[in-house]
Amino acid sequence: MTTIDSPERDETIIVAEHLCRTFPGPVVALDDLSVRVRRGEVLVVIGPSGSGKSTLLRCLNGLEQIDSGTIVIDGIPLDASEANRLAIRREVGMVFQSFNLFPHLCVLDNINLAQRLVRGRSRAEATRTSRELLARVGLDDKADSYPDQLSGGQQQRVAIARALALHPKVMLFDEATSALDPEMIGEVLDVMRALAEGGMTMVVVTHEMGFAREVSDRVVFMEEGRLVEEAATEDFFLRPTEERTREFLRQIR
Amino acid sequence: MPVRPHKPWQSLCLFALTLAGLVWLVLRGEERLGYSWHWRQIPGYFLKVVDGQWIAGPLLQGLGVTLEIVAWSLVLAGMIGLVTALLRLSGSRVGRGLARVYLESVRNTPLLVQIFFLYFVMAPIFDIGRTATAVLALSLFEGAYASEVFRAGIESIGRGQWEAAHSLGLSRAHTYRYVILPQALRRILPPLTSQAVSLVKDSALVSTIAVYDLTMEGRAIIAETFLSFEIWFTVAAVYLVLTLGLSALAGTLERRFARGCA
Repeated sequence: MTTIDSPERDETIIVAEHLCRTFPGPVVALDDLSVRVRRGEVLVVIGPSGSGKSTLLRCLNGLEQIDSGTIVIDGIPLDASEANRLAIRREVGMVFQSFNLFPHLCVLDNINLAQRLVRGRSRAEATRTSRELLARVGLDDKADSYPDQLSGGQQQRVAIARALALHPKVMLFDEATSALDPEMIGEVLDVMRALAEGGMTMVVVTHEMGFAREVSDRVVFMEEGRLVEEAATEDFFLRPTEERTREFLRQIR
Repeated sequence: MPVRPHKPWQSLCLFALTLAGLVWLVLRGEERLGYSWHWRQIPGYFLKVVDGQWIAGPLLQGLGVTLEIVAWSLVLAGMIGLVTALLRLSGSRVGRGLARVYLESVRNTPLLVQIFFLYFVMAPIFDIGRTATAVLALSLFEGAYASEVFRAGIESIGRGQWEAAHSLGLSRAHTYRYVILPQALRRILPPLTSQAVSLVKDSALVSTIAVYDLTMEGRAIIAETFLSFEIWFTVAAVYLVLTLGLSALAGTLERRFARGCA
């Protein structure tokens, strides 16, 4: 595994530069997009659907290949090397819109699995960590349940606990509340808010503007794979500079 | 689908009536046939007492050979099927090509021809015994079909499961072993069972290369005694018991697996 040492390494945890990604069609999902994320920062990515937000997130942990550009996370370049890709995935947790819990495993085993396989922890050790995490997301009584016995909100909280189990340095949230019934959105956002307050570095794709305003440090607005505007949260919502941003904010209000 | 109310008495009566009708038909047919049945000799072909000791008759010995061949072939066919399926789904062009060639050549030629090919051509070259040749032929044949079942099962697992496993840093092998295959196996148990039942029935073909399985023993007895009807009925019944047992076992497994898979 090669790491890149630079003076910024301690400051900036994600350096993504000139990312390009075109899907067959051809559909341009990312068009020369560059993003940096500082340690402990909560970055919210917004934009109309099809603007490449999800693709950006999925590229950041190698679920999607980039056609060109560079991604360096915590000093590790995401390149063709399988070892680097696995190393980055260990440091980057991801939460999906559709939860993607493992339906054949109970909640506890869902959270234990990667700890045991990837971190090599014993069952007892993993279970201890998992129970702590379950308590943190308010589901300590559901350890033995199976995913299909839980509500959507509960499943998503388990998914967050599962992603946290490897003690990642960065958490990616890909529209984590979009598939939830309205009354369950709050419980998931509460968990995410607590995580942000705990100092976790987060990149969040979301349509929840209230959450974005309240929790994020910085907002990136994307359209057609390009970065339209990037600003500190308050500036973004109160003083957007781009006409396209103003239009988008008017529409969603 | 509306659920029909369960009426056990009605179904039972219907079943008894059908059975009575069938028995009547068989008895009528038997009368017309004018065949004198010798069922009393049949048990002796399974077990007989010689010098005060129970010894296994030819049919029981044949059943033993069939069971042995079937058991080995089931295990081997399962492994061949899984490996072939993984090769077909792998990123390697060579692996996919190999799997494809194996699959198409096995699926598009008769099993009997494959058994003869292995027995007369390959066995002498590699010095393989008769029983081993039988096992090899059956495993290669059923493995091809099993691989398609495995592939369909693996492909039925959504992309999200792969992505979740990958995002947790699991390697491809770990993802298969702990996430994809356990879910796929549950789904493919029914088609896999019918493949196993086919294997039991197809195993009768190995009698053509002088492996003394159930079918071969039955043929040998008929050659001596001309009890064609009794022996073939008996042999058929034994195969039926075997396959029904296999299905029941699969049913139990399925119920045990039934837990929470959407």
